[in-house]
Amino acid sequence: MRLPPRPQERIDRSRELTFFFEGEPRHGFPGDTVGSALFASGRRVFSRSFKYHRPRGLLCCSGQCPNCLMQVDGVPNVRVCTMPLREGARVRGQNVLGSLDRDVMSVVDKIGGPFTPVGFYYRTMIRPRRAWPLYERFLRNVAGLGKIDRGAGRTRRFDTEHRRVEVLVIGGGRAGIEAARAAAARGEQVVLVDEGLGPGERAAGGSFEVIAPARALGIYEGGLVPVDAGQVLIRFRARRIVVATGAIEQPLVFPGNDLVGVMLPGAVRRLTDEWSLRPGSRAVVIGADERALSVVAELRSAGTEIARVVDLRAESPRRIAAEGKKGRLASVLVDGEGLDCDLLVMSGGRQPAYSLLAQAGARIEYDAGRGVFVPIELPASVEAVGAVAGELPSGATPAATYEGGGKARGKCFVCVCEDVTTKDVRRAIAEGFDSIELAKRYTTVTMGPCQGRLCQLPSVRLYARENGTDEAAIGRTTARPPWAPVSLGLLAGRGHEPARRTSIHERHVQLGARMMWTGAWRRVHSYGDPAGEVRAVHEAVGAIDVSTLGKILVSGPDAAAFLERLYPNRFGDLRPGRIRYSVLGTDAGRIMDDGTIARLDDDRFYVTTTSTGADVVSEWLEWWNAVWGMGVEVVNLTGALAAVNVAGPRARELLGRLTDLDVSNESFSYLDAKQAHVAGVPCLLLRIGFVGELGYELHCSSPYGEYLWSTLLERGADLGLRPFGLEAQRVLRLEKQHILVGQDTDSESNALEAGMPWVVKFDKDEFVGKWALEHVRERGLRERLVGFEMTGWTVPPEGGQIVVDGRPAGRVTSARWSGELRRAIGLAWVPAALAEEDAELAIRVDGRLEQARVRLRPFLDPDGERLRS
Amino acid sequence: MSELEFLSTDRTRTGGGFEPVFRSPLADALAAAGPDVRDLSALGKVEVRGDVEGFDGLASAERIPLTPGRTLFLCAPEETARLREALADPSRTVVDVTGALAGLELRGERLLRRLTDLDLDGLPAVGAVARVTTIVLRTGEEFRLFFPQEYARSMAEVVLDAAAGL
Repeated sequence: MRLPPRPQERIDRSRELTFFFEGEPRHGFPGDTVGSALFASGRRVFSRSFKYHRPRGLLCCSGQCPNCLMQVDGVPNVRVCTMPLREGARVRGQNVLGSLDRDVMSVVDKIGGPFTPVGFYYRTMIRPRRAWPLYERFLRNVAGLGKIDRGAGRTRRFDTEHRRVEVLVIGGGRAGIEAARAAAARGEQVVLVDEGLGPGERAAGGSFEVIAPARALGIYEGGLVPVDAGQVLIRFRARRIVVATGAIEQPLVFPGNDLVGVMLPGAVRRLTDEWSLRPGSRAVVIGADERALSVVAELRSAGTEIARVVDLRAESPRRIAAEGKKGRLASVLVDGEGLDCDLLVMSGGRQPAYSLLAQAGARIEYDAGRGVFVPIELPASVEAVGAVAGELPSGATPAATYEGGGKARGKCFVCVCEDVTTKDVRRAIAEGFDSIELAKRYTTVTMGPCQGRLCQLPSVRLYARENGTDEAAIGRTTARPPWAPVSLGLLAGRGHEPARRTSIHERHVQLGARMMWTGAWRRVHSYGDPAGEVRAVHEAVGAIDVSTLGKILVSGPDAAAFLERLYPNRFGDLRPGRIRYSVLGTDAGRIMDDGTIARLDDDRFYVTTTSTGADVVSEWLEWWNAVWGMGVEVVNLTGALAAVNVAGPRARELLGRLTDLDVSNESFSYLDAKQAHVAGVPCLLLRIGFVGELGYELHCSSPYGEYLWSTLLERGADLGLRPFGLEAQRVLRLEKQHILVGQDTDSESNALEAGMPWVVKFDKDEFVGKWALEHVRERGLRERLVGFEMTGWTVPPEGGQIVVDGRPAGRVTSARWSGELRRAIGLAWVPAALAEEDAELAIRVDGRLEQARVRLRPFLDPDGERLRS
Repeated sequence: MSELEFLSTDRTRTGGGFEPVFRSPLADALAAAGPDVRDLSALGKVEVRGDVEGFDGLASAERIPLTPGRTLFLCAPEETARLREALADPSRTVVDVTGALAGLELRGERLLRRLTDLDLDGLPAVGAVARVTTIVLRTGEEFRLFFPQEYARSMAEVVLDAAAGL
């Protein structure tokens, strides 16, 4: 029932909104929150408590406490007291078995008390240990907050926005508006964020932007303030931050202080002024400062009868207790005097909301005179204005707790979020949790949805009293972001993962390729028939997109000397137009990458790297270039160029159709590099053979990659050309025992033990890692990377153990079935003593030992006749 | 072999049954985009390492300093060859990066705020846009992004998605 129109009301009575509570239609006005509209419809029980399932009603009505958490349109844990009402909103209670009014689980409150003291699950439900998952599931079901619909998927969209401002004002109260106005008047660019509905007309005329409702979640270094604006997380970078978060009314601690009908003065003020609602018909008011007590006038104007006003500045009652029927307030006892009422307005004074300041690095101290914690010594570029800075009228400091006395034995809550009573806190102290930081973790006081707003100060007061010390000695718990609960979806944002795609990607998709991730690249695993793709390369011709290869141009007068000093292989004597392979070593002699290097002319080298190694190698080259100060430019061309490897006995025939270049074996030999137009596109052609057959890598500018690929497929169709993917490539290279860095090597592998002593030129004066490789040579090889073929038909798993005398002595790094050889083949690290042709290996496969033989030379074409043909 | 022709996009030859097709890395990804998003990938782009202080070879080319020793020049596609030639100098390394960088023109500061934490009043700058290292330029409410072409589809997806969320 609404009161007659009031001067400050926010509602627009000319229009009605319909929403649904538990499926039943309810009505409200624009300007209502879901909470105020429900209150207007007569609802008083808004939630059930975390642990005891006690009925709870509006307490703060300002988005601080947990009492009005409900599910709105499928979203759990919505504070309905600040959620603006929408037409058609569907509202439900949460954390109940039954309904809000009849919750079966409230039996815990009646009989479960003795069995469920704070931290009981650490002691009473730990044996047998196997049963813990059952207990855990049970506890999770009966306690806690709302539930997420796991099947719903992404129902809401969350975005992240980055903003820079000169001044960010947090809080839209009187002090915040004044600060914003003043800064704007100085010509500064100002944004004000307010967690409520915003300052409305009070901010009128100010030339600053207002964002509301929007909660600042924390203050991080560099002036970073993430703000939860509902569907958008705004990451503010502010040159100056003005904190105007005000002060929060603190509840008194007495038996029955959580009954429905017990409210803080602010809640009463909002209900009467903003939504023209009468909070109760007969009220008792207990307050410690003028602001709390002045609510009496508002109540009277709303027609509430005042039963008694207790001014804690003038009188110091020893006993206060509230009693109720079915969870609703029925009477209040003050020093034995019983007062029937349905509303108890209580406040123990206001505590500056200092959390954001503390996060920013302010020092917070207890002010014994005013009985509150206040911020002092603010960090540079952070200001505090208004009540949060401690500008509070003085009031009385209430008692830590009020005993009920007599028959009043109701629970006395320190923390309404987590259902922690004074008895729980006393028990924790008796168990030895005398530090507030440890006690917090044990009792969970301050760890609930209010994040200490309503329980930090009362719990500190209680600790001080129980420990016989003062609040300053107890101190406070560390303030950490987020200051307010925030949904994980908002923090996660849109979650796009950047992927690298070659310029030929769309063609692969059209060909029905199965794609896979290799690092950040999307690459072709196969076009559906890896074995057929291998066969095409051996018998006709195949084409594979190798645009992902790292491609680095090293140029300058010192280019040859630079590579000579960096790589273990020799490059000073490489003739222009020729190619040489090398591994690249770290300064500890380990293999970091491998690839071919083509000398384009005297001063220019074209370095290729593995697909995932491009960035690391490029940085490695630039780093050494800077260290040595040589006359070299390093340009990473990886993305600039597309590359296609055309391989197979008919590759030359295909290439001959597309270029004027003389492609005969005599003039374009194995390991030659040439520039020519292929199908009209200028290309760098490298005759190399990773897959073991006659082959050419064609490198061209990326925008022509797709055209070149399509032309190759078209003109090679009659030759039996098939595109092939990584899976086929892996089989083909294994037949040649060509290593894959990262697959067959790890961070400990060196070129000598990997079976490539020929790439290490010890007679060079110097190269990166030389001393380490010399050391390996002197101490002797301990293990070796060797090829093996299985005696049986089984393909051993990659990573499988090599077993010697019943003990693991090595591992398989690659293994595949070779259709060409009709055998299972692979590469493995074995003890150096086993690295002999025909040596027998035992490999563990599914618990059995399978036999294999060592093969030191390539399985296929060991003399490279096909490559050179 | 003084010029590395395979690095350039304007050295193709038509004839003999071949007709090379330049295809923008954004061609597929922007097929459904509105008029507020424009593909700039075909623009001529030349990166120079070395001193360009006194260079005045091609007045129409736009000059974007990247670092003290690196400069990016933008020009119309047909002017790229002239620009390369004008810049050629033994003291400089000139690399045609036309094929390396994709380009995208967008409208609206709010959209950019959803994509990057760069200071939009301090452009041009190089930084992460949708987690991809990007050169960002601004003219009023119009922004131009240049980034590695292999991220083109990824970038277009993020940009169009962010625009849909405004």
